[in-house]
Amino acid sequence: MLPIPSAHPIDMPAFKSVLSMPYTLTPGKAVGSFLAEIGRRRIVGSKFKKSGKVVVPAQDFCPFSGDSEFELIEAPTTGALTAFTETDAGMIGLIRIDGSDVDFPHRLVGAAYGDLSVGMRVEAVWAPDVEKSILGIEGFRPAPNAPVGKIRSLEAPAAPIEVVPYTLDLHYEHAFGPYYGRLFDEIKTNRRIMGVRAPDGDGAFLPPREICDITHKPTGTWVEVKQTGTVRAMSVIYLEFKGQKQPPPYIYAEIMLDGATTRLIHTVAGLDMKRAKELVKPGTRVRAVWRDKRTGSLDDISHFEIIDDKAG
Amino acid sequence: MGRHVGIVGLGQTHHSRRRTDVSQAGLVREAVDRALADAKLAMEDIDSVVVATGPVLFAAVNQPEKWVCDAIGASQKPLVRITSGGGTGLAGALAGYYQIAGGFAERVLVVAYDKLSEGALQYSISTLYDPFWGREFAVGIMGFSAAYWRARMDVLGHTEEAAAMVAVKNRKNAMRNPHAHVKKEVTVEEVLASKPLAWPIKLLDVPPISDGAAAIVLSSEKAAAKSTDRPAWIRGMGYFCEADNAPSRSMVVSEPLAIAARRIYRAAGITNPRRQFDVVEVQEPYTCFELSYYESLGLCAPGEAAALIKSGATQFDGDIPVNPSGGCAGANPIGAAGLIRVIEAASQVMGKADQMQIPGAKLALAQSGGGWANLRGLAVLAA
Amino acid sequence: MTPSKVAVISSAQTELRSAWSEAQHIDLISSVVAGVFKGTGLDLDDVDFIIDSGSDVLDGRSISNCGFLGAMGAHHKEESRVEEDGLWAALYGATKIAAGGADIGLIIAYSKPSESDFNAFYATQCEPFYQRPVGFDHRAASGMQAQRYLAKHKLAPKDLAGLAVKRWSDASRYAKVQIPSVPSEMDVLASVNVARPLTKLMMSRPVDGAVAVLLVSEEIARRINRTPVWITGLGASADRHSFAARSAGALEACEKAAKTAYARAGWKRPEASLAELGASSAVGELMVMEALGLAKPGHGIDLLKSEGGTVVNRSGGSLPADPIMATGLVRLAEASRQLLYPDTYDLRNPSSAIVHGWGGVGMQTHCVVTLEA
Repeated sequence: MLPIPSAHPIDMPAFKSVLSMPYTLTPGKAVGSFLAEIGRRRIVGSKFKKSGKVVVPAQDFCPFSGDSEFELIEAPTTGALTAFTETDAGMIGLIRIDGSDVDFPHRLVGAAYGDLSVGMRVEAVWAPDVEKSILGIEGFRPAPNAPVGKIRSLEAPAAPIEVVPYTLDLHYEHAFGPYYGRLFDEIKTNRRIMGVRAPDGDGAFLPPREICDITHKPTGTWVEVKQTGTVRAMSVIYLEFKGQKQPPPYIYAEIMLDGATTRLIHTVAGLDMKRAKELVKPGTRVRAVWRDKRTGSLDDISHFEIIDDKAG
Repeated sequence: MGRHVGIVGLGQTHHSRRRTDVSQAGLVREAVDRALADAKLAMEDIDSVVVATGPVLFAAVNQPEKWVCDAIGASQKPLVRITSGGGTGLAGALAGYYQIAGGFAERVLVVAYDKLSEGALQYSISTLYDPFWGREFAVGIMGFSAAYWRARMDVLGHTEEAAAMVAVKNRKNAMRNPHAHVKKEVTVEEVLASKPLAWPIKLLDVPPISDGAAAIVLSSEKAAAKSTDRPAWIRGMGYFCEADNAPSRSMVVSEPLAIAARRIYRAAGITNPRRQFDVVEVQEPYTCFELSYYESLGLCAPGEAAALIKSGATQFDGDIPVNPSGGCAGANPIGAAGLIRVIEAASQVMGKADQMQIPGAKLALAQSGGGWANLRGLAVLAA
Repeated sequence: MTPSKVAVISSAQTELRSAWSEAQHIDLISSVVAGVFKGTGLDLDDVDFIIDSGSDVLDGRSISNCGFLGAMGAHHKEESRVEEDGLWAALYGATKIAAGGADIGLIIAYSKPSESDFNAFYATQCEPFYQRPVGFDHRAASGMQAQRYLAKHKLAPKDLAGLAVKRWSDASRYAKVQIPSVPSEMDVLASVNVARPLTKLMMSRPVDGAVAVLLVSEEIARRINRTPVWITGLGASADRHSFAARSAGALEACEKAAKTAYARAGWKRPEASLAELGASSAVGELMVMEALGLAKPGHGIDLLKSEGGTVVNRSGGSLPADPIMATGLVRLAEASRQLLYPDTYDLRNPSSAIVHGWGGVGMQTHCVVTLEA
């Protein structure tokens, strides 16, 4: 069973992290045409040349054969329900648009779950004012008397949409575990930086961990490392990018704290940035400067400042 | 090794800063069509498919091999994704190699891609960092790459000038490469004067951000003849790593690459890489890495990389040409870059590198890597 | 030259829990790596390579293998990640050893879905233009699979409840799974709707955990004093991404993977002593049993009652415990343990096993491995 050290109780709540990533996705010709035509309330499909298969909504590649040669067609807005379910996203079904050789997954609207049945005729419900998205069709609703529609050639197709903005929001609650739990608790409460001793040798590992990355042997007792250290590697950051936490220029530094055998990533500041590359270099001695605010993260250290202690 | 494996088909897309004409799946299809055509095969001839891409946060599609499956007609075949950061293209080829060598398949299609125009590159790759430990200071892979270069500068003499010579060489070579989308020669002075992004890394030390895909067909010896009478035989291939914050981890030399070189060279009978290899292709995310690779790959001794680039030996007409294709400087769709290096090396020993051909090339080395500069692989290819 | 034989020599696994909130990924991983060598006479120094399975999207970090290399014992070794459910990682390892490229491979798989939004893991696998915006995801796919299957074979949700109860009960008895209490059929039917007709307890339950398996060449297997289990067949296959374009009511890719694996093993029929298989839902599990040839279409449910024949999911399978990126490797570890220690599992002289792994929305990909003692 998993050995959890009992030496230190863990009462840190999970560490919350959100990755909110912006994208500009390219749908390709067929999907781009489908999205472009939504505003004109036309449903676009692909008719593949070799297989003759009609695929609604339109695809660049035949899902059956991989065939890539197709012509765009205008599909009817009616079809039959071939399967359905209900999740917390609502009612979702597979709709066989009249004349299509494959089902179209979409929402089902205007009916209760109990009213739905496989084989039922349905028709598209257009969403007002939604363009360039499949949600321009709000969903499909029961239409018992809807006549069977026909595939037609797509007259005067709109130019395909080339870029679709998209955001991916991913939420995490990371466990601290016993080692990070104590590390950050000590940082928050006692303003101490704690590592664990290497299995053999004097240095301490930072961040602390249960086993040595090299030998896979269990690590030793907790030990406080000093708040002074030596820059081992550095870069002066001028680049601006999305998601950046501080405005450039600033110094990215990998620092070996005195007593540690692994590096800590932080920033060196409080200096004339115009002279950054001569003032901060491998071997430069630095000391942690704490913020008043206590969050229990590395950010509780505002930055490292240069010191002149000749300890080397 | 169980069975001989050769590369019998090569394909690359038209790479560019942004391809708005194709989706990610369409990009993959383009490379696959070209590799299959090159191997005189159809998808029905392929037993198994390996898809390799960079991190999913680059492009918002989790396990994207499942999506691109339909576009390449891979349905009802073994289909697997190999991920190993920026070197994933080579790692994917390695998985395909073992599928054949181990008797699981006769022909394997390996396709690698990234469509970097679709995401926020530095933001998404900054999530490489431990969320608790250092992520708030992350600057993509550029921050630590620049920092490690700074560390090598003092110890090994990997100067800004030496790195600038790499930029000059690779950009010049890219002029010959039909797949490169950056075709502009630069001078050492221009590189040195270019805008610092993460000093010592400057704008012209940095490859472009690209949309692109690459594919190869791997074949058993038995099945190779249908495609070509001159495959690029894989004489050795491996992908090694080191723990990212291991105690005593060296920022100065790439130990996993040195280990890979030692092991693979032994298997392939390489005792003097500088003399034996006719051509080398390396994946240089920034110019500084090429200098470091010279040393880890044994093309020169540690501390001699600057002298090696300066000597002209790694130029197109030098005795050990490195990146006659232009390397990543011409196009850099990250997830595909490792496989592109394999393709460029293979095309040399297959004698079909056209205007990039090193005359009489029989033995080639391809290098690739990724992650926290701690995943490193290489392949030895022979005519 | 014939590829050499490959053996499973050892495995180690954490308990599978709904949340390992007091441990990090590296703690779970390093504990199984430390445990997998027990009794083998081997240690980490003997390992030639590591293949692992995990997910950046579940872990909340890019190239997450990169941050866990030390815990995996991979430092300065060959390492690659195969992103599926762990069984494909074993397949990679087996081909590498069969090729003669290495003798000892460590296969590792882990997941901590408790740290992330598990539904987003599947939703982000869906194509972003048509499927994601309308809410089509693994739940919707499973629900529609279930609707079709039940209608076609005239089965009721109660039948699915019976299957779920059996699996949870077996897991509590035979597997290293944290089970608060075994649900009754009423509990299963009354649990919250996930995708009609499927309730929460008819879906596989995401859990945290890690597993490691040691694969070795024939030469090493003969040298060490431990009974090996031989990998005799491997097969894998992917179905279409377009759920609507797949064969309704059948898992075509699973049939293909099984057929390949059985042919490689020289099996005419799937007459294995036991099977460890996974699925996204109770209906999915019935469909897998049928695709593997263990039952005729619509008759997977009969395997619950039948005496003799292949014992399916003595460990409970993935319904009570699905450590996403590790589920397939857990199945391999379970099947190997059942072949080696049949008494612990109330099995009589088992000699062969079918191991099944899967991935994707609506179970798009499948991997089948045959084992022989």
